[in-house]
Amino acid sequence: MNRKNFFTSIFGAGALIATPVFGMKGEKYDQPSLIPPYLKEGDTIGITCPAGNITLKEIQPAMEQLESWGYKVRIGNTVGKKDFTFGGTDSERDSDFQQMLDDPSIKAILCARGGYGSIRILDELDFNSFRKNPKWIIGFSDITFIHCHVNRNFGIASIHSKMCNSFPTDWSEAEPIQVESILSIKKALSGEAMKYSVVADVSNRSGTATGILVGGNLKTIETLAGTKSDLLTPGKILFVEDTGEYLYSIDRMFWNLKRTGKLDKLAALVVGGFKIKPDDPGEEFGKTIEEIVWEKVKDYNYPVCFGFPVGHQKENFALKHGVPHRLEINSTGVELHEQ
Amino acid sequence: MVKTPPFLQPGDIIGIVCPAGYMNIEKAQTCIDTLQQWGYGVRLGKTLGSDSQNYFSGTDEERLADFQQMLDDDEIKAILCARGGYGVGRIIDSIDFKKFKKNPKWIIGYSDITILHAHIFSNYDIASLHSPMASAFNDGGNENEFILSLKNALEGQKIKYQCAPHEFNRRGEAIGELVGGNLSLLTNLTSTSSDIKTKGKILFVEDVGEYLYNIDRMFYHLKRAGKMHRLAGLIVGGFTDNKDTERPFGETAYEIIRDIVKEFKYPVCFGFPVSHEKENYALKVGVGYKLKVSKTKVTLEE
Repeated sequence: MNRKNFFTSIFGAGALIATPVFGMKGEKYDQPSLIPPYLKEGDTIGITCPAGNITLKEIQPAMEQLESWGYKVRIGNTVGKKDFTFGGTDSERDSDFQQMLDDPSIKAILCARGGYGSIRILDELDFNSFRKNPKWIIGFSDITFIHCHVNRNFGIASIHSKMCNSFPTDWSEAEPIQVESILSIKKALSGEAMKYSVVADVSNRSGTATGILVGGNLKTIETLAGTKSDLLTPGKILFVEDTGEYLYSIDRMFWNLKRTGKLDKLAALVVGGFKIKPDDPGEEFGKTIEEIVWEKVKDYNYPVCFGFPVGHQKENFALKHGVPHRLEINSTGVELHEQ
Repeated sequence: MVKTPPFLQPGDIIGIVCPAGYMNIEKAQTCIDTLQQWGYGVRLGKTLGSDSQNYFSGTDEERLADFQQMLDDDEIKAILCARGGYGVGRIIDSIDFKKFKKNPKWIIGYSDITILHAHIFSNYDIASLHSPMASAFNDGGNENEFILSLKNALEGQKIKYQCAPHEFNRRGEAIGELVGGNLSLLTNLTSTSSDIKTKGKILFVEDVGEYLYNIDRMFYHLKRAGKMHRLAGLIVGGFTDNKDTERPFGETAYEIIRDIVKEFKYPVCFGFPVSHEKENYALKVGVGYKLKVSKTKVTLEE
């Protein structure tokens, strides 16, 4: 009996699959997926501002909607607080988030908005209670810091989705795609398996992949390079999006992904929305997003899709970060299914 | 021990290339003339004043080939990058440093050229020159002390820089190899093969045209990547043309940096003349320096 078979027979194939795989550069073990309990009617969702500020009035539409879904809402102390761009001082944002993490009656934490600031409190947060009793953390953009941190360190799944500031004030006048994006948060929270169909893009690379879905805001992922919150990407389906960046800057960030080894062992790459800051006159970059991405991934064979509805835009569907998915890309379209 | 490339002798040839953004020859003319007045020969690379129609001074292949040729040509004793912009990161992993390792020569520039400085010091332990580039020679710049500091550095003079104190300075003395450059690029290089090690080093940083929140985010990045903890000292250069968001950030760039380093003990100076403005002394990356921050002044000497 050779060594490999020996282990298989002792632990069984299932045990081997569940064994965490080695992280890049042997820094740390990769974490298996831990799924927080899905929400039931009557469960409480806490709303807090780990980054930018928001007023109570601005979160009203989100509150009403969450309540109409049958959830209770707890408003954190940081809602309505303002310390320049932030939703309160670092210590105010830290303690509000901490309270939400530690309070067992709160089943999910919805970040009111992104902006900037999560990284300033991330290392102050105590995740001990959260690790024992995981709950859903919801948001995107600057909240990518938190998604990546809890994925890398605890393997706990979270929800990458729109936040309070994107709920339409008047549902009757909201565009269907916006409504659908918001309703996908409810589906994700209630435990429905996520299923998305997207039209084909001519730049896509066909193929099928399964893997844990990770990613988020590209600039944030770059900012986590070399830190303890850095994403491990081997075998993963990586999704990225960004806004307000010049093409050259997006190119530079993709080089960071490539040069930090994050692109070479992916299961697949999902390119979401990139709201590009126009080049200054005379400084035209001369490459499209598709070209920028293609030149980084041309040496690999995994599937790649463009224009996936995730990003700073109306069509920004809830994605379960840290959860295994199956991605199928062919000439007729793209299917992303939670497994 | 860092390897210092040979200093230049009269008659030595300096190659001028554009490894990143485009520049026309007219804009580099004063630089060319001045280098010749200093007694050097000048060889122009194909990427300076190329017929490129876009942002770059040529395709990746053209920029790489031009730089590679200068690197491998024994007659070229120093390579001056005419400008920064963006583009070195696209070719850095394709440059072959084999010959350069055996026969180091000075690589000169700043901003996007930070990638070259970081890469060759981290990988080959070879010193390079963080310094003004071609356009800084224009409009009488060729006679200012900052351009002259490049001349002095190339000649091998050991230079002592001095600058005024800043209210945020933290006094003390530090000895260590000098590393650093443009903050955006230092963060972009984190965890790559060009990444800098900062333990026991004197780190210098500067940037231009960045949002204040992004400056804060970049320093948090460096800090969380362990690059701020064990410095010998920190030199904060210019953070110029900063931008702010609609909802103001509430702190200046220097206040941001002061907050980032407040838990550490090493000396820190603000407003050192290394920047995207005229105030930009030539600094030898990788070389040992002594930084002295006192109540009345700041000195930096080899």
